[in-house]
Amino acid sequence: MIAFRHFTKTFASHPAVRDLSLEIGGAEVVALLGPNGSGKTTTLKAAAGLIRPTSGDVLIGEPGRPAGDPGAREALSFLPQRVAFPESLTGREVIEFYRRLRGVDRDAADAALKLASLNGSSGRAIATYSGGMVQRLGLAVALLPSAPVMLLDEPTAALDPDGLCAFYSVIEHRKAAGQTILFTSHQLGDAERLADRFAILVDGRLAALLTARELSDRLASRGVLRLRVEHEPADLLNRVRRLSPEATQSGDQLIVPGPAGTRPAVVDLVRESGASILGLTAEEGRLDVFYRDLVGGRS
Amino acid sequence: MTTASILRLCASQELVLAMRARATQIFAVVFAALSLVVSASGYILSGGSGVQDFARTASSLTELVLFVVPMMALLVGTTALSPDQGAAELLFSQPVARRTLMWGRLLGLFAALVAAQAIGFGISGLIIFSQSGDDGVTSFLLLGAGSVALTAVSLSAAAAIASGAGGAAGRRCARGLAIALSTWFVAVVLYDLVALGLASLLRSGPASRLLITATLANPVDAIRTGVLLGIQGTSAFGSASLALLRFTGGTTRASMLIVAAVIVWIAVPALAAARRLERADI
Repeated sequence: MIAFRHFTKTFASHPAVRDLSLEIGGAEVVALLGPNGSGKTTTLKAAAGLIRPTSGDVLIGEPGRPAGDPGAREALSFLPQRVAFPESLTGREVIEFYRRLRGVDRDAADAALKLASLNGSSGRAIATYSGGMVQRLGLAVALLPSAPVMLLDEPTAALDPDGLCAFYSVIEHRKAAGQTILFTSHQLGDAERLADRFAILVDGRLAALLTARELSDRLASRGVLRLRVEHEPADLLNRVRRLSPEATQSGDQLIVPGPAGTRPAVVDLVRESGASILGLTAEEGRLDVFYRDLVGGRS
Repeated sequence: MTTASILRLCASQELVLAMRARATQIFAVVFAALSLVVSASGYILSGGSGVQDFARTASSLTELVLFVVPMMALLVGTTALSPDQGAAELLFSQPVARRTLMWGRLLGLFAALVAAQAIGFGISGLIIFSQSGDDGVTSFLLLGAGSVALTAVSLSAAAAIASGAGGAAGRRCARGLAIALSTWFVAVVLYDLVALGLASLLRSGPASRLLITATLANPVDAIRTGVLLGIQGTSAFGSASLALLRFTGGTTRASMLIVAAVIVWIAVPALAAARRLERADI
């Protein structure tokens, strides 16, 4: 459905995406993850036909057609990262324009407005909308056609909890209906909830392509256990390092990085050493730490 | 959806946007007020009283049209057509050729600006008709046609400016507006001074060729010459227009050459803008 073949995009000699090859099949949801400036938006915009590859190909649909071809864009709908509309139009007028442009029936327009929770405010000028409402209107426009491919650039960035619930419900519905979805996000929660696979871009390169299970395992292995202890024996840190070599101590706090599976053994070891545990917190691995590891080649 | 229906859809949306825009509304009001003042003041300035007839009003209005219409069309067109990042990304990701969207929007802007001018011409035309009858109405209509042509030329230039204004997304509109204002100043104010200044330094033959080229190379001059030719004949011509008339050997051929130059000035910048837009990264 979406194929990047050795896709490279360079802006004024700065490579934004380098030699990306990625195939996304029908009814698959893929999250594009990566730090700021890693090439996520460029990748998505290339799939939406908004930027031309410097080299390589970006193909959409079955059979694949170049994304820059207007015909190929029949197969997709796109939500930009920072969507904007003419402020003198009402939400309903915007929806009506895109509804007619995509040849969608009126019921679909009403449904899209409802899903975006804009029914009550669709008659108001966009100048009166909040940032979240503008984003939801953009989402409504992207949801208008039931195109086989959806491209969403940080779709949840400006959504409030209600908008987020509506968004998850729509995407899960579309996923069940067999739609292919490629989206970017900085929210691990979004990605884990929706995606089947995770493409991780770092410095414009595909640094990792993981299934949901693989990502979960990798993040779990980068978790941290923090224990506040007292009356600990002098060699406690050395004993803990036999289980977790990167463990450190800072004041009364024992910091034990490592997979979640090692945590019970560490707690048992501390107890058996005669130390008292005053407090305990466990953090799962964070995406930014994971990105740094990928850059360092430790993936 | 057919290309015609997409053009109609984009044009009608742009027409609504332009009619709601403060700049277009101000233009309509100011143009109507100035038209009224010009039509009412001609006799007063020459010691008489009352409203001028159509022919005199057209003569008096010509410079106003040549001054105001290109400025408004360049500014309104550049503002509307400069890619606004979030809106442009959504619009150009639709399964429609970018050039079709651009042509549709240009048509809508053209309709809005022509409507704004029609209000100005219409109000002063009604007052003139009620006071002085329909003498010289053809001249007035010719000025209206010149104004419409000038709008088309200026919007075409605005499309070229908007598609070519580079830089960061947020600054494209500001950069485009700066280029549009510079273009207006050069075409409407500076150009004639430079052309006449250069011609004064040359001998008769080369000076005539320079002035003919200058008249056709600047659409504002070409339209001015065409309108004056229609309203007042050759009596109101300056040196550049007379040189053109001598070169073409008559008013018919001169008119045809002017019309051809204006068509080129409408088509070429807009086609270049469409081509550039098709290849641009949004």
